[in-house]
Amino acid sequence: MLMCFSAGIVGGLIFLQRRSLVGEALAHASYPGVVLSVFVASLLFPFSEAIVSVFVLVGAFATAFIGLFVIDRLEKKIQISSDAALCFVLSTFFGIGVLIASRIQTTHALWYRQIQSFLFGQAATMVDAHIYLYGGLALFVSLLFVVLYRRLELLHFDREFARTVGMNVKRIHGILHALFVLALVIGMRSVGVILLSAMLIAPAAAARQWTQRFDHFLILCGVIGMGSGFLGNVFSVKIGGEGLVLPTGPMIVLTATSVCILSLLLAPKRGVFFRLIRLWRFQLRCKQENLLKALYKGRRVALNPFFHFSMQAKGWIKGGELTTEGIREAENLIRLHRLWEVYLVHMGQPSDRVHRSAEEMEHILTPEIEAELNALLGSPKEDPHAQPIPRGEST
Amino acid sequence: MSPYFGRDFISFFPLFFSRLFQLLSGSLSWKDLAPDEIQVLVLSLVCISSALVGSLLILKKMTMLANSLSHTILLGIVISALLFSSGGVLSINFEILMAAALISGLLTTLLTQLLHKGLRLQEDASIGIVFSSLFALGIVLVTLYTRNTHIGTEVVMGNADALHANDLKMAFWVALGNSLAVILFFKEWKLICFDPSLGKSLGFRPTAFNLFLMLLTSATAISAFRAVGVLLFLAFLVGPPLSARLLTSNLKRLLFVSMGIGSGCSLFAVAASRHFLTVYQMSLSTAGLTVALVAITFVLFLGIKHWFLKPIRP
Repeated sequence: MLMCFSAGIVGGLIFLQRRSLVGEALAHASYPGVVLSVFVASLLFPFSEAIVSVFVLVGAFATAFIGLFVIDRLEKKIQISSDAALCFVLSTFFGIGVLIASRIQTTHALWYRQIQSFLFGQAATMVDAHIYLYGGLALFVSLLFVVLYRRLELLHFDREFARTVGMNVKRIHGILHALFVLALVIGMRSVGVILLSAMLIAPAAAARQWTQRFDHFLILCGVIGMGSGFLGNVFSVKIGGEGLVLPTGPMIVLTATSVCILSLLLAPKRGVFFRLIRLWRFQLRCKQENLLKALYKGRRVALNPFFHFSMQAKGWIKGGELTTEGIREAENLIRLHRLWEVYLVHMGQPSDRVHRSAEEMEHILTPEIEAELNALLGSPKEDPHAQPIPRGEST
Repeated sequence: MSPYFGRDFISFFPLFFSRLFQLLSGSLSWKDLAPDEIQVLVLSLVCISSALVGSLLILKKMTMLANSLSHTILLGIVISALLFSSGGVLSINFEILMAAALISGLLTTLLTQLLHKGLRLQEDASIGIVFSSLFALGIVLVTLYTRNTHIGTEVVMGNADALHANDLKMAFWVALGNSLAVILFFKEWKLICFDPSLGKSLGFRPTAFNLFLMLLTSATAISAFRAVGVLLFLAFLVGPPLSARLLTSNLKRLLFVSMGIGSGCSLFAVAASRHFLTVYQMSLSTAGLTVALVAITFVLFLGIKHWFLKPIRP
């Protein structure tokens, strides 16, 4: 869970930098490091689990860092577009990993199995030493984030300002990259090389839906990551049933992505669901207001039961007749419409072209804008078509 | 007993070419192909098709979508195997695999589009989410269905040493299809790669072509995954065209050079893998070797460009 927490936080930063897929490439790039270090460590210290896992961390960290460096070089020096550079690094590093792994496969089958557990992640097979090691590292990453928080925030939103204040932008960037790779390496044991990128992206994408603030965002990223880590572990044991334990990584990822998709749909401000509702309500109001205008102008309108009911509920009509409230509302609409026409003509539009725009604006203009328009145009009494403008409540 | 048993790197080639000649002149039947030959042929066919598709992908900056495809193909395979296999017998044949390619290609592209446009997520984030969740789903399904966690690894890593003649047939058809698609629509591809807005105003649909390209890619991935696994397929897709791109800026030459690099690398890789087996008793993954060779080629070309060619003026 701690691992997922740190992955979530780091992922948040990467997400904001719009470089989500770098994580994917680096996760793959760390694979040869894992393979090599398992190989070397097992040769040197054949019986010590703890030392081997430290070696794995170091190795993975090293190759992932090399990968990051190569990507950077490819993009800047040879002008390869970033997606191609990512893909290239990802696949070649992984290929080299596979090559080395195949060398070990036949001679040292046990180590090979150990390496494979890093592909899809197997949190279930961890022993106490692992837990302390990874937990400690994850804590370290999180703590470093807390310490560096101010600087990261500054760097992130206003790089130029950060430079002028005298911050060592390059060094912070370096630290950030190191943290990034470290979080990747930590997460690898639980989620696996292949699915790690999801743990970086999904919590961030989900958290972004709920908040606009940087600190809330980062904490939320971490919490979502942690939660899906926990649930994923539970599910992997529950669903698997007796004798078969589903690989943990995929379950964690599936949990995280479902959280993400739910947030994309349901988040109050940015979610699709509420956006659609807002859109629908706005359209409804436009229709109601248009009907109201038609009634006010004395046209015969066949109201269908739905509109009849909803407009009655607003207090605009009663038994097919406009109420005083309805009349006031309708006059206000017409006033907005004609004011806007006057304004457009004032701005130099020909008077026969302004009706359509006003037809839309009458639903949107707020009382504040109305007051300003009125002041600007000097409380006009007539619109460009020589129709009277009803007096507003404010004037 | 393979005729290549005990051969080293150098002596591999005379035998290979003489047997290839025999094959073409008819004195050696297709059934008697040695595993090494099948490997060479499959790998180079895969390389050819992926070089064709990969060049276009790189020019259109869509390689990350290809990456996501290479993951989601697993789900496609699983779903179509579940749909079409009757009576609990998992049979994987040509039609099923093609259906899988179709399913996963469509699914990936459409879902990514949906997340990006419909739910307004950043493009790279939506790519990342789609492929990793689909891949995770694929792995879970495989594990539940076969009660075995090993298959996932096989799909990811590929196993060039378990190839047989059927894979050759498939690789051949896919390569043929890809070349036809590229040759027939060469002008259209060129237009869409370099000036999409002109293409649009001339009445082509860039989105339709994108989808078409994705379908081609997924077909290629399907033909490749048994030989090299889905991830190394990516190296084939990106490596040769990138290397070729260093040397040329002509689309036709780019296609040919990258095909050449790909098939050359696979030939040498098979020979080298045989060499390691004979001389050092080491069995190495042929696919891994091929990728390593592709990487070396890239570095080599980089050197050539740096030291021998004058930089192109911007």
